[in-house]
Amino acid sequence: MLAVVWLGGLTFLAIFANWLPFVRRYNEFPKGPGARKLVAYRGKPSSDYWFGTDKLGRDTFARCIYAAQKTLVIGAASIVAALVIGGLLGMLAGYFRGWYDRVLTVMFDVLLAFPAIVLALIVVGRFFASGDLNLGLFTMEKRFFGVILVLTVLSIAPLARIVRAQTMSLAQREYVLAARGLGAGNLRVLVREILPNLLPAMFSVAFTGLAVLLVAEGGLAFLGFSVQLPFPTWGFMINEARPDIVKGGGWAVFFPCTMLFLTVLSFNVLGDRVARRFDIREATL
Amino acid sequence: MSEMDTRPDEGTLLDVRNLKTHFATARGVVRAVDGVSFTLERGAALGIVGESGSGKTVLARSIMGLLPPRGVHREGEVFFAGTDLRRLDAKQMRRYWGKQMSMIFQDPMTSLNPLMTIGNQIAEPLRVHLGSDKAEARAVALRLLTDVGIPEPEKRLDQYPHELSGGMRQRAMIAIALACGPTLLFADEPTTALDVTVQAQILELIATQRRDRNMSVILVTHDLGVVAGHTDSIIVMYAGQIVESAPTRSLFRSMRHPYTEALMRSIPQLDQPSHTRLLAIGGRPPDLINPPEGCRFAPRCPYAEERCLQEAPTHQSDTPGHSFACWNPVGSPTWAARQHSTTGSAAT
Repeated sequence: MLAVVWLGGLTFLAIFANWLPFVRRYNEFPKGPGARKLVAYRGKPSSDYWFGTDKLGRDTFARCIYAAQKTLVIGAASIVAALVIGGLLGMLAGYFRGWYDRVLTVMFDVLLAFPAIVLALIVVGRFFASGDLNLGLFTMEKRFFGVILVLTVLSIAPLARIVRAQTMSLAQREYVLAARGLGAGNLRVLVREILPNLLPAMFSVAFTGLAVLLVAEGGLAFLGFSVQLPFPTWGFMINEARPDIVKGGGWAVFFPCTMLFLTVLSFNVLGDRVARRFDIREATL
Repeated sequence: MSEMDTRPDEGTLLDVRNLKTHFATARGVVRAVDGVSFTLERGAALGIVGESGSGKTVLARSIMGLLPPRGVHREGEVFFAGTDLRRLDAKQMRRYWGKQMSMIFQDPMTSLNPLMTIGNQIAEPLRVHLGSDKAEARAVALRLLTDVGIPEPEKRLDQYPHELSGGMRQRAMIAIALACGPTLLFADEPTTALDVTVQAQILELIATQRRDRNMSVILVTHDLGVVAGHTDSIIVMYAGQIVESAPTRSLFRSMRHPYTEALMRSIPQLDQPSHTRLLAIGGRPPDLINPPEGCRFAPRCPYAEERCLQEAPTHQSDTPGHSFACWNPVGSPTWAARQHSTTGSAAT
């Protein structure tokens, strides 16, 4: 329940981040004469600055919320893309089997064996280092797209393998045989019989996978290979404020860490709950 | 399509000739169905009887063509209304599935999609085969549910399988199978998962629908009692082969194969004194990878002799329509001689 409240609140804040006045100052530096006296650098939490300030005097709370938007968008976009691609490939492999299955399985194994960090470094560092990407309808920062791409590619294989295994077991069910016996073609069987029964498992995996992706994004950001200034993500903030721990102003690290921790935990809890719900329904049938 | 729509009321609907269905497994080739031949008239009901593993379910699925895509070897001929189904590919078969022939499965708990409403599941085949629109399919589904005797059919249309009882689910299954008005209905152990009282209702329902629709029915079961009242003829299967086939009356009047006799004896009889020991068939069904030489039932047969173990018996017949594969059929002199020597030991 707490997990849902946390995620709900966070999503709400993330969606409206661009319009909330207290979030909009995420990138404001103290300006003007006397500013240096008014605002503490690496400040402690106060009534003005709930989460304190970072080394440049920016509001950590505002940055945390704004970062939530970026982080969640990256995570969600990657997991959705991976679910669509991996789910499709996994379903096809699990349903049709044969050489098709063998080729795809080898592909998944290769993907799984590929060193993730190296892939990230190559894709983000080499191909999407800077500049804007024109996608026709809208432009997107290249790095942003690069990070999503990397995380998607990395999540396809594990998702596809789970979906494939599930599909194989569902394809053996009597009602699938019954549907075939009534004249349903492969497409109809896949879409009407197998996919709906696959969804609970997919949702469960998606939530757990999202949690993993958030951490992965944090790792990338920590290495300096995620989204760049001026957009913060939690990993980026942690990396940015890392030297502060030694210099006595750990707040700017503590809060994004906590946010990341709670969010990952919530997604995991949610994923588990969906999985349990799914199992119970299976058992009562 | 037109040649399929003309439906003479009489004549042979199904003609199965020397059908074999073998599965490739890691241990070897399983001969699940090993040379089965029979014919079925339009509007007639045929029972296929045998214990677990005798190949009756595989036979039904093999005729229908509903087998796993890989690792199956099927040979022989299956003529359905004059067409050899074995020559059709999956795409062509799909026009038969549901429309010409359909199947009721054993377990109504697992053979309905848990995430689709009953109404939608009945509507599926209608929309596949007849291209009905939503409203039309719903109306037909409602009529079908009423036909199969489900109370409050209107309400059931929008319910999910878990909201229905076992008997109602089986009725729903029957409604789905009947949706497109098939000429041939396979009922694979339709009552095994149900209570005895519900069993009788379901069998009666299938019989009524058969008469109303002039549909042929193949009833697969391990229960001689189930086929007794609801079939015109019976095939007894053992180890993938037919050991006896006869019109139902003829079979129950004089069963000739020792296996049929043994099956009959393992059913409790009302006229027996209570606490009479049931005669179970000793031993197990044979390994279908290495079936015994000679008669496949010989190792378990109380009347078996040297010849049975070496030479497979051929089908013979003494009354028209009644054939059996046995060297010493029930009623023969050898059988009579053997019976005295064996019943004493079997009773202990």
